[in-house]
Amino acid sequence: MKFECGDLEHALRVAELMPEAREHLKHCPQCRREYHLWNEISSSARALHEDWDTPALWPGIRAAIEAERKPERPFWKRWPVLAIAALVVIAAILTPLYWPRAHTPADRDFLTERALADVEKSEAAYRQSIENLSQLADAKLKQPASPYIVNEREKLLALDAAIADTRANVRQNRFNVHLQTTLADLYREKQQTLQELLTREQKN
Amino acid sequence: MWEIALPLRFLSALPEHPTDAQLAEECRRGNLRAFELLYQQHAGRMKSLAFRLVGSRADAEDAVQEAFLKVHRALTGFEGNSSLTTWIYRILLNCCYDALRKRQRLAETAPPADFASHSKLPMKLALERALSLLNERQRIVFLMFEVEGLKHSEIAAILEVPEGTSRSWLFEAKCQLKRILTETAK
Repeated sequence: MKFECGDLEHALRVAELMPEAREHLKHCPQCRREYHLWNEISSSARALHEDWDTPALWPGIRAAIEAERKPERPFWKRWPVLAIAALVVIAAILTPLYWPRAHTPADRDFLTERALADVEKSEAAYRQSIENLSQLADAKLKQPASPYIVNEREKLLALDAAIADTRANVRQNRFNVHLQTTLADLYREKQQTLQELLTREQKN
Repeated sequence: MWEIALPLRFLSALPEHPTDAQLAEECRRGNLRAFELLYQQHAGRMKSLAFRLVGSRADAEDAVQEAFLKVHRALTGFEGNSSLTTWIYRILLNCCYDALRKRQRLAETAPPADFASHSKLPMKLALERALSLLNERQRIVFLMFEVEGLKHSEIAAILEVPEGTSRSWLFEAKCQLKRILTETAK
């Protein structure tokens, strides 16, 4: 193969052709210039590398990274927050199970209602018992008055009036413990009065 | 308040010359020192390459900063299928293209119309101007190989082309530069 000027580029690509190309270069100044330029392009290219100080570049990158990391921190930085969140959730689940039920307003109302129903049931039974005693004592109270009977009759009338007033107040305020206690005391007083009356009459 | 310092062994786990894989792993764990090392290893060449592509130092710095931020954001998803270096350069090239598109600098970086009249310019300046006449792929391969010293295997990975293509594009680039420089010298 006869190496010609047009073959130089091909030789630069195919290393096997370079010995022939070098032989040609010895006698061809134009190809020699081109070959020199080819090499000079590579050697001059190194000088195109630009280097300059950028002292603010890394701090800027770092600051931007840290700003981005704050809202979404890695797990090892978020665990205290997650731990607190977990505690709150656990507390929210367990509190209704362990907190005394009477401490919540709804539960207190419910229990008071039940307790009041018990009180009212007892009161009705108690009143019926006293009513039975009254019927037994009634005949004695209608007898011609002895000073004791008159006194007891007036006392029972006063107690009945007080019981009626107190029951009226209780109906207005069923949850008032003081009124309920007062009513119970009045019933107890009436019961004792009737018992004493009957006992005294039996002795007589 | 809730900041917890990294254990010392964690920070000192980096060897003096960590491999790409070691650096990638540490960066993935959020080790900012490792990321700084990555920056120190590549920022110089990246700035220079970006400068040649976007045409100004300020724009090059912006592109490099943007590239590193994108790298940091995407590190958790970096699967290591390519090397960290090639991945970073690929992101940098995209940042440069974005910057060029956004700022419409393509026209500004084009050579002046009276280019031929600068035939007596020193070789560096003549080469700079000749480079701007190459097509994009030739210019990038030339810059990465001849100016920044990357290997063909790395360039091929960055551009996602076969290594032979990288060599071929470089050859085309040099032939084209030789023609331009020969003509301007006449």
